Amino acid sequence: MTGAIIFGLLTILMLTGMPISIALGLTVLTFFFTMTTVPVEAVAMKLFTGIEKFEIMAIPFFILAGNFLTHGGVARRMINFATALVGHWRGGLALGGVLACALFAAVSGSSPATVVAIGSILLPAMVKQGYPMKFGVGVIGTSGGLGILIPPSIVMVIYAVSTNSSIGKLFIAGIIPGLLLASLLLGVTWLVAKKRNYPCLPQASFATKIKAFRESIWGLLLIVVVIGGIYSGIFTATEAAAMSAVYAFVVAVFIYRDMTLKDVPKTLLASANMSAMILYIITNAVLFSFLLTSEQIPQQLTSWITGLGLGSVGFLIMVNILLLMAGNFMEPSSILLITAPLLFPMAMHLGIDPIHLGVLMTVNMEIGMITPPVGLNLYVASGISHLGLTETTKACAPWILVMLLYLMVITYIPAISLWLPNLLFK
Amino acid sequence: MKTFLKFLDHLEEWIVASLIGAATIIIFVAVIHRYASGWPIPYVQDWLLSLNLSWAQEACIYMFIWMAKFGAAYGVRTGIHVGVDVFINSLKDKTRAKFVVIGLLGGALFTGIIGTLGAKFVWEVGLRYTVANTFGFDWPNLTSGPTSPDLEWPVWIFYSAIPLGSYLMCFRFLQVTWNFIGTGQLPHHDAGHVEGLEDETPPIEECGIHPAGMHGGQS
Repeated sequence: MTGAIIFGLLTILMLTGMPISIALGLTVLTFFFTMTTVPVEAVAMKLFTGIEKFEIMAIPFFILAGNFLTHGGVARRMINFATALVGHWRGGLALGGVLACALFAAVSGSSPATVVAIGSILLPAMVKQGYPMKFGVGVIGTSGGLGILIPPSIVMVIYAVSTNSSIGKLFIAGIIPGLLLASLLLGVTWLVAKKRNYPCLPQASFATKIKAFRESIWGLLLIVVVIGGIYSGIFTATEAAAMSAVYAFVVAVFIYRDMTLKDVPKTLLASANMSAMILYIITNAVLFSFLLTSEQIPQQLTSWITGLGLGSVGFLIMVNILLLMAGNFMEPSSILLITAPLLFPMAMHLGIDPIHLGVLMTVNMEIGMITPPVGLNLYVASGISHLGLTETTKACAPWILVMLLYLMVITYIPAISLWLPNLLFK
Repeated sequence: MKTFLKFLDHLEEWIVASLIGAATIIIFVAVIHRYASGWPIPYVQDWLLSLNLSWAQEACIYMFIWMAKFGAAYGVRTGIHVGVDVFINSLKDKTRAKFVVIGLLGGALFTGIIGTLGAKFVWEVGLRYTVANTFGFDWPNLTSGPTSPDLEWPVWIFYSAIPLGSYLMCFRFLQVTWNFIGTGQLPHHDAGHVEGLEDETPPIEECGIHPAGMHGGQS
């Protein structure tokens, strides 16, 4: 009953369009002022202690690292490298686009920025070569989401923090599903291109390949710094994030020279802006789950789900549907922060691996980015292609089906997510 | 008044940008220090070992909390706090404007309450003692309050980010509400902004992230 009141209140507040963090906070305050005996002073204390964890601080560092490398110059290098590798196959430019999106998204950490950066360079070239605009938009809009699955991923850090899972393990668990999705998208693109006889690029010479590789490798090494650093135990996850920020700064300013020292304060400010927004949602989400826990909502939900006798199969279907629906209205970090503390205890009760659940939730968030009405990738893709939002959605629809199929595979074959981390972390 | 607001804007931007920059440098130096002090270089190693950087992690956390509180206030000004705007965007402009104002005032209400709770908390956790000590007041029940484990600073200094940041955020919400009522414009954050794409077709402004679901304005 209290659960219904809490969520009802939250829904009403969110529908007014106020920031999600504020809606969460006001729900908690209303409840504490009127209905419980928990002292309200505890709220102010929680606002501070909620984010007083070193693990959470990986988020601003990763955002900073990504922002240093979110630049047209880096996108161009990734595109050159990707097209040199796969351009000579049927539909070469589109295949190059998928690969470039995967690389750029992993480094920049932002899906919408990837769609804009890769899309505004590649889409005009694709149209010039005779690809229909809709095909290009579908490919780029969908592939832009790959970044939240391939480490370093901010969405994964948020999951790890709100469920006390290991960031390093989750990052490594994301590698195989990320590669699998990238190859799936490449495969489908290739099949469509073959059927419709899209053009291919001339085979790049070995020297061109080497040159393109040498130019893009500095950006790509960021992933190696993070994964290698965490896995080998040289750094903790947060330290790895800070090191990657310094590394990205050096690459952007001294190696690529896309940025001058004068641009650095602007990048710092933009990163601080984005990080503060996410940290603010986290603080209020911590307050919210403090309220849920003090009202014993997670326990009630767990016993309810056990009573239904769903089993892990039925439960995971339910989780997918819930997250996909939420993904239509909210952005990833808010969804994760609100749902993870509720779903996690239920999943543990049903014997689902926490890392598997993390990968599954991340894939759901990725699909949410390309489904209307709030898919951020759709908005930016429609912006750069000058197609309407409905057109863009239709262009992405076949790809959404591919992603849903992939989601099923990830859901029911946990080994895809768990094999590598279990192998490495004995 | 105008100069004061400008000064406040710059101060806010300067605080958040320097905090994130400084925290990065501190952690970077601490990690390098940890490994470098293991290398057997004469004199250098002794000197490195004599430096104690165990406070780095704690400093980083507190710097980021300050950055988060003031950055959240700055975020109101740049329109980065996102809400669920599907429902209100389907309404008529006039009704929608009412909801936007409700949303913004909700923000002001929440941050105002939190600021007040935070101020009370900071007062009791050590500021009261410090004030009494400094000015020689003879208040009953004076206790000095806890200090942080590594830096050993009184914690009220760190906690004061809550009242200061929240009140600033409250002020920003009121400011945005005032501007919205006057001009119908809301700040708007462009999530798909990428530098260095000048030669390509510039991305269109429209991109789905509006605070409380409004269009227009500058980010």
